[in-house]
Amino acid sequence: MAHRWGMVIDLDRCTGCEACVAACHAENNIATVDAAQAANGRTMHWIHVERYWEGEFPNVRARFQPVLCQQCDAAPCEPVCPTYASYHNSDGLNAQVYNRCIGTFYCADACPYTARYFNWFNPVWDKPLNLQLNPDVSVRGVGVMEKCTFCIQRITAAEIQAKAENRDVKDGEVKPACVQSCPTAAMVFGDLEDPSSQVSRLAGSMRATTLLAEVGTFPKVIYLERESSHANE
Amino acid sequence: MKRRTFLKLSTVGGAGAALAGCGEQTNQLIRFIPDETLVPGVATWRPGICTLCPAGCGLQVRIMEGDAEVIRNGQAGVVKMGLAKKLEGNPQHPVNHGTLCARGQAGLQVTFNPDRVRHPLKRVGPRGSGKFAEISWDEALQELLTHLSPLASPGSAHSMAFLAGPLRGQRRVLIERFLSAFGAAQFVPFELFDDSVLRAANQLSFGRDQLPTFDLAESNFVMSFGADFLGTWNSPMAQSVAYGIMRRNRPGARGKFVQVESRMSQTGANADEWIPAHPGTEGQLALGIAHIILSEHHRSPEAAGAAGSRIEGWHNGLPEYSPEAVAWKTGVPPQTIMRLAREMAVQTPAVAIVGGAPLAQTNGLFTALAINALNALLGGVGKPGGLQFTPRPPLPGHGSSETNSKGLTGTSVRSLAQHILSGQARTVESLLLYEANPVFATPATWHVKEALESVPFIASLGHFIDETSVLADLILPDHSYLESWMDDVPESGTTAAVVSVAPPAMHPLHNTRAMPDVLLDVAHRLGGRASQALPWKSYEEMLQAALAPLAHSPSSITASSPDDFWTKVKDQGGWWSAKGSAAPERESAAHAVPALKNEEAQFDGPAPGYPFYFLPYASQQFFDGRHANLPWMQELPEVLSTGMWGTWVEINPQTAATLKIEQGDLLEVASRHGSVRAPALLSPGIAPDVVAMPVGQGHVEYGRYASGRGANPIKILAPDVERTTGSLAWAGTRVSVAKAGTGELILLSGGPTKWSQERVRR
Amino acid sequence: MPTNSMAQANVIDIKDEQVREDLLRPLFHTSRRFYVLVFLLVAIGLPGIVTFVYQIYTGMGVSGLTRPIFWGFYVTNFVFWIGISHAGTLISAILRLVNATWRRPVTRCAEAITVFALAIGAQYPIIHLGRSWLFFWLVPYPSERGIWPNFRSPLVWDFFAISTYITGSLTFLLLPIIPDWAMVRDRATGLRKRIYTVLAFGWRGTPREWHRLEMAMKIMAVTILPVAVSVHTIVSWDFAMAPVPMWHSTVFGPYFVAGAIFSGIAALIIAMALLRKTLHLEAYLKPSHFSNLGKLLLVMSLLWIYFIFAERLTVWYGNQPAEMAAFWSIQSGRFAILFWTMVTCNFLIPFPILAIKKLRTITGTVIAASTIVVGMWLERFLIVVPPLEHKYLPYDWGRYHPSWVEIMITVGTASGMVLLYVLFAKFVPLISIWELKGGQHTNPVPHQAQPAVAGTQVRLDPTLPAANS
Repeated sequence: MAHRWGMVIDLDRCTGCEACVAACHAENNIATVDAAQAANGRTMHWIHVERYWEGEFPNVRARFQPVLCQQCDAAPCEPVCPTYASYHNSDGLNAQVYNRCIGTFYCADACPYTARYFNWFNPVWDKPLNLQLNPDVSVRGVGVMEKCTFCIQRITAAEIQAKAENRDVKDGEVKPACVQSCPTAAMVFGDLEDPSSQVSRLAGSMRATTLLAEVGTFPKVIYLERESSHANE
Repeated sequence: MKRRTFLKLSTVGGAGAALAGCGEQTNQLIRFIPDETLVPGVATWRPGICTLCPAGCGLQVRIMEGDAEVIRNGQAGVVKMGLAKKLEGNPQHPVNHGTLCARGQAGLQVTFNPDRVRHPLKRVGPRGSGKFAEISWDEALQELLTHLSPLASPGSAHSMAFLAGPLRGQRRVLIERFLSAFGAAQFVPFELFDDSVLRAANQLSFGRDQLPTFDLAESNFVMSFGADFLGTWNSPMAQSVAYGIMRRNRPGARGKFVQVESRMSQTGANADEWIPAHPGTEGQLALGIAHIILSEHHRSPEAAGAAGSRIEGWHNGLPEYSPEAVAWKTGVPPQTIMRLAREMAVQTPAVAIVGGAPLAQTNGLFTALAINALNALLGGVGKPGGLQFTPRPPLPGHGSSETNSKGLTGTSVRSLAQHILSGQARTVESLLLYEANPVFATPATWHVKEALESVPFIASLGHFIDETSVLADLILPDHSYLESWMDDVPESGTTAAVVSVAPPAMHPLHNTRAMPDVLLDVAHRLGGRASQALPWKSYEEMLQAALAPLAHSPSSITASSPDDFWTKVKDQGGWWSAKGSAAPERESAAHAVPALKNEEAQFDGPAPGYPFYFLPYASQQFFDGRHANLPWMQELPEVLSTGMWGTWVEINPQTAATLKIEQGDLLEVASRHGSVRAPALLSPGIAPDVVAMPVGQGHVEYGRYASGRGANPIKILAPDVERTTGSLAWAGTRVSVAKAGTGELILLSGGPTKWSQERVRR
Repeated sequence: MPTNSMAQANVIDIKDEQVREDLLRPLFHTSRRFYVLVFLLVAIGLPGIVTFVYQIYTGMGVSGLTRPIFWGFYVTNFVFWIGISHAGTLISAILRLVNATWRRPVTRCAEAITVFALAIGAQYPIIHLGRSWLFFWLVPYPSERGIWPNFRSPLVWDFFAISTYITGSLTFLLLPIIPDWAMVRDRATGLRKRIYTVLAFGWRGTPREWHRLEMAMKIMAVTILPVAVSVHTIVSWDFAMAPVPMWHSTVFGPYFVAGAIFSGIAALIIAMALLRKTLHLEAYLKPSHFSNLGKLLLVMSLLWIYFIFAERLTVWYGNQPAEMAAFWSIQSGRFAILFWTMVTCNFLIPFPILAIKKLRTITGTVIAASTIVVGMWLERFLIVVPPLEHKYLPYDWGRYHPSWVEIMITVGTASGMVLLYVLFAKFVPLISIWELKGGQHTNPVPHQAQPAVAGTQVRLDPTLPAANS
């Protein structure tokens, strides 16, 4: 049975703690660059928490919004890739095949969420930091574009397990690293095809929005708006 | 070229390339026979305990097989072994419920850090030069014994000191017992953000020398005074889990959250209402709120019990704290104070939290007592949705950070340094150092470095060389916390009594030994009192013996035999009772203590020359600086500033405009005691009369990722302490700010500081 | 043959022998200046190659590209050179089709620019790849796993467009060279003769050959036009197909084509002026040629300013927040200096020079053309970079600073372009001799030309068209 994996991020729960960011680095073998390259804007935070200031002191607010690959149904990154490195898999994920990528950067230009990250150099892990690498996830070399995969290795593992036990993947059985680590349970992952799943129910919330809906990408990451009970509102 | 020649040439070339590949050292190492059986490609999960901050979260360590370069019996080689691949929260652990913060997850890089001390070291260069030579464990232990055994003899004129981070559980017991073997031994606990003011206040208000636990999940109104409780303070994971429930898990009820602070923290950014009060006036604001609650008869003064009695004028309705008077002091409008008071009184359960900067003032204790009194008045103490205390496990003599029963002198680093430098105390002949870095994390005016330099012998039991351990003569490297037997007794964050226990999740990578085992070994070799006090052969044995009484206490574990109990404890990652709150021991609180009067916070540095309050804050990435050697943390953008790989000075844009400072300008922040330089970061979330800097960078000696990066704001602080408790008033300094050139600010966000959200959403 | 005053002004009335002497001189006599020039160009170009190797070896990180500005100098150069390439084929084809006689000394200079600019421009998609060594994965053949390139990707369209264009342009350039090479063959001796014998494809100059050549050129001229238009349209679609603020625009196709012709003519004028000076072709490349091209340039300048106005106005009027961020950064922000320099270079300076007849001299047109080449490069840069710096989520905005690697490669390829042109001038008469002669004979001149009868060994002058059309 084909799934349509999706994620709901409740911005009313998100506290900007960035546990998801660290979890993603650990799970997906994301290299740290270094200070010089970070200054050049070349860090690779597949998920990062965007902060938007509103207002002036003292009536100032900061809003947090975790942004990761939105796994769009109509993903602009896919048609532009000349080598099918970026393609739509049967579970509706925007997969990235590192081996096929030749680094045209076109997908990254096309992505309205700037959710794609490039390996400007070969990644470096000072020994023995290389021992922390997750054997379930390939390490990307120089010249290759990469991005959030919804932790496809976890999805695949769950699907294989379910198949072995001759059943469907249960709701909540798959948790990408970010979802797993979220202390406030702001992130929920599941099958949008299954109307009884928690994501499907949350996606129907009054607070549900998608990021940059006007671009027409039909993302599978759905945000629940932060609620306001501000005194001045 | 003939075809044959070409083939020959290409073969030679290919072989050459292959040989070049073989030239790597890995392939020359011998391969050891694995001493554990693991299925390749299949992950196993083992329990662990997070030691990256004092919260004491339970871990689940993902272990997979891999090839590691190790040293076994002095021989370098490669072995297939279980390696920690990921850290996640232990879903069963009562503190963190399966969650783990960014710092905790980066703990992998503690174990695999390339800058770990990999074998015992003996100093060869001048002290502090960082020149060490590799020695064997036997030599190292012998060296240690030659220095320690004279001190262990009865009547020794010299003393030893053990300088360590705040230890809990059996490690603490072990060190206390170890020190009891020495004639004059001092235990010197050190932590920058030590919260001892709040413990003291809780002792006075509620009779508990302990950090509180907040039942936010049931609260309808949360007011936090400066506590970064979702980020770095107390038990952030436990509090975050509860916060999520408070906000959205209860249909129809969404708890309101108000934050009072002068610089917006990660926690403050989530508040429904963010109230910048003048630094040091938070207690008065709390009493202003209490004044309204009392004067409008929402509660009676007696409701606050002993906690109220700590505040002068409490039973008269706090006449000094009229909204107008408080507004004038705090800068919070009187209407806001009145509105908040009414909301708090009505939207019950309501709870007030205090922590961080408000307590790091000279009047910190008063502030804490004021907020305790407010909490007591609101009626949430010991109740659902209010303030609770984690019960102590039914074990004799430990589980708290109280001073011990053995009569050992607990000394502060500051007084230790003073005594050493003044020569008043008995000479500290030997100093043992473990997981504390006071040279980095104390003001320069405390002269800790100078004091330690004059100690004749220092041995470090930690696994990194930092600013303090670089002064050591001998380094006996510890296992990482994933390689050792671990135990912990969380001080807060749950209403269950918890003793966390975790066996080593993986075999050691380097030629290191666990600190407890080293001390047991040393005690054994010392003989006499020491070996009597510490009769166990290993720390595992000691832990098992210590925890055995728990088998009879009610908990989730039902065991048939002591061995079965121990196995189940190890598998679960510890022992914990069912949830329930220990009632505050109000009656035991001594009533004889006189009530405290309102005290104004004193700031070092006159306002004319030093116009800004200086706020160093616990960093989201580095906490108090101990995580600056983790590359993941260096590259984690601080969520509000988006800064990475450096330090910055947060300043209000309007102030900056007045001073003609632009984003990225190098600023010199000067107190009366020194100055640091860092680039300016214009942030709308900071009061115009405050400048703030994250703590954690500015290391001189802390490995390749941290050394020489950023600036250390602690160094320029005034030596002032909180009046009653004597802990560092790290938020009590005033500074001046001047432009000193162009700095380099590394931010993740390249966008403008301000942008309407409407622009982003549909 | 139309004989109006316009045509008369362009007529070059020089004896055949003199023409051959003048135009073939560079092929037979090599001065020291030539070697110095080649050495200089190699000295500039070679570091570019070394830098490129360094970039491959180290990684794309040595460029100034960063997230989210993934396209920078390289793509700018790509668009720029493809634009320059519209000098030749398009202009020459149009002029051939409308039978403008004054084109005769101009066409080959122009067509050569096309081929070389394409050769340089086509390198950039490869230089700019993260894994340049795998560039052939863009080639439409199935890989070992049976996967074809993605035909939905504008980059694959690019591949088709550019390879078609370069094939067409090369044919368009080489076909009319054959008679000239035949002429060289007949005059040369030794090794040179052997080389040119091969190059001349056995051209004998029979009427049938002439007829076929004329036919081929007509067919080529008709077919190359849509190809040229499509090429730059497709290049524009590289941008317009991506949902990036200010890229996603319908005007981009014609806007890019107009800009390409604009910069192409400018490059042609500069090339012609340099050739005129260095090869002493004053008698062939007359002020009237420059004036005529100047008029074309004027038209294109007006068209360009119209397009940029239309593009900017609609964006500004539409007031889409995402687009406005990029818009204002160009109009009044960080890129304002570049923008207004571009407007000055592309319109404010050239317009008066080209519009006032007195100023439309050789010097005048060269000045205008030079500013336009600079301006058009800036235009490409401003199309590529500022929108990428200001994509939808303001948190992710970034800044682009080109690195020395990109500058070295840019300079190196520019010098490579000049080098190719200089070498070309060494092997090919840069003014088509036979075409020039064809144009010279305003009155029919009696020939001894007879139809080649099979079996007769009549040796015809291979450089003269059998019958003047």
